[in-house]
Amino acid sequence: MAKVLMKGNEAIGEAAIRAGCKNYFAYPITPQSEVAEYLAKRMPEVDGVFLQGESEVAVGYMIFGAAGAGERVMTTSSSPGISLMSEAISYIAAAQCPAVFVNIMRGGPGLGGILPSQGDYFQATKGGGHGDYRLLVLAPDGVQEAVEMTMKAFTLAEKYRGPVMILGDGLIGQMMEPVEFPDDLKTEPTNKDDWATSGMSTRKSNKRNLVRSLFLDPKELNDNNLALKAKYEQMKKEEVLYEGYNTDTDYSILIVSYGTMSRVCKTSIDMMKQEGIEVGLLRPKTLFPFPEKEIFKASTKESCKSVISIEMSMGQMVEDVERCVKGQRKVDFYGECGGDIPAPETIINIIKGLL
Amino acid sequence: MNIDIKGIVVICGNYGSGKTETAVNLAAARKKDGVDVKIADLDLVNPYFRTREVRVSLEKMGIDVVLPNKKYMHADLPILAPAVAGMIQKPSELTILDAGGDDAGVTVLAALYDHLSRKKVHMLQVINPFRPFTENVKGCIRIKEEIERSSKMKITGLVGNANLIDETIPDHIYKGYDFLKDVSKETGLKIEFITIVSHLIPQLEMDRFTCPVLKINRKLNPPWKRV
Repeated sequence: MAKVLMKGNEAIGEAAIRAGCKNYFAYPITPQSEVAEYLAKRMPEVDGVFLQGESEVAVGYMIFGAAGAGERVMTTSSSPGISLMSEAISYIAAAQCPAVFVNIMRGGPGLGGILPSQGDYFQATKGGGHGDYRLLVLAPDGVQEAVEMTMKAFTLAEKYRGPVMILGDGLIGQMMEPVEFPDDLKTEPTNKDDWATSGMSTRKSNKRNLVRSLFLDPKELNDNNLALKAKYEQMKKEEVLYEGYNTDTDYSILIVSYGTMSRVCKTSIDMMKQEGIEVGLLRPKTLFPFPEKEIFKASTKESCKSVISIEMSMGQMVEDVERCVKGQRKVDFYGECGGDIPAPETIINIIKGLL
Repeated sequence: MNIDIKGIVVICGNYGSGKTETAVNLAAARKKDGVDVKIADLDLVNPYFRTREVRVSLEKMGIDVVLPNKKYMHADLPILAPAVAGMIQKPSELTILDAGGDDAGVTVLAALYDHLSRKKVHMLQVINPFRPFTENVKGCIRIKEEIERSSKMKITGLVGNANLIDETIPDHIYKGYDFLKDVSKETGLKIEFITIVSHLIPQLEMDRFTCPVLKINRKLNPPWKRV
């Protein structure tokens, strides 16, 4: 298929359609409302449903209901909206139902602002909702990757029977880039018998299921948490994604950065290379599971003197970076979070200050 | 062929068709020709990549930029600066109104109807056939009708803005031009001009185009390209 020019938000909507998602529930919020606008037009064309909930709380439970019924389902929102959905996300994780959540982050806390931010790293990777659960979190750095990750999110959600999140800053949703769509996702979940409460015709057996997150028996609750834990351990083994940039050189500084921020870092790295300064970048593409071993290995390369986490936040991922580096190198941090994305020159000045 | 457009020009079109990039480049090109230019950002629907982001560089060129009050610069609120009505009443040689996308983006024009209806206005629909919903003539006509209904105004001309940003090649320009001719034939609307990113121009057979061409120097770039 030929390339088209799309906004990240539109492309995420189209990717959901191509992944066979026929259920999209959402509540508008800047900077991701274009997903709803796009799918309001597109869903009827594929006999799908877009329903605007009365709030994000309602949307969260619409997602839970559709997922429990065995349907492919997605919602999109931005930071404050995800906070409202977090209760439902916890319930969906406990009930082990597959669903895709997209957070196109804006500045916070509170209502914050409408400009790009990466301030929801903790919320996405460490909880958000209550209880012992994790979200599998994919972090695209552009429109093409947003498409690929959105489609992949549905298969991962089904593989692990749980909520998967696409975490992009506002620019990922708002910028336009040429994009090519992969072939439509043809697969159907093969494990529907384990959880779905309907769709007997598409299932192997007539096993009756109950969607629930209440386990009053201590052993039952412990077993459910152990089942979740086993899935998170499997994710750590099988789903880690990352990209190295200029890491085949004898770099003296290693940057760890993701999403839009990593693209600014790449420009800075290219510019410093022209001056003879080698800097490497490790970009986590999955934020949970986190590329732990890869960061340790890249940071302990002999030429590497120190590591810096560069984020559009006040310092969140840096805690995971420190954990991975295990004290073998000094770990610095640079971040801005008002909505102005740091310029390549700013990053260069920060890096030169570390040399 | 040079662009000689003057008067009040409203730039509209479907969401993401390239209205703002077209509007600010048109303002810059005409200013270079010695024309007095005013531009207003009427985009009330799009939160990022708006005319207001290039305010400083336009003002440096001597272009009068009308924007909402500075403290609301980053708000996603529908603010219409009172100065816009003033600039329609007393237009400069070229007055550009950069509207928002789709029918929702031009609703603001209906609020200015009293002022606009007394003037001759060029209402230009920007079309990029590589965007969703305008990849065929039918889609372009649907957007045209929706914009006309919502703005209470008639489209008077077409602007071809065929591009895939950095991945644009000559073939896209030729195909986009042929497509625009089809839209023009179907609607009876004149092709006012087409846009071509300046670095592609040496690679093109320019005599294939019988309409004026606006050279584009991209002004709305993501932060990693702002060096």
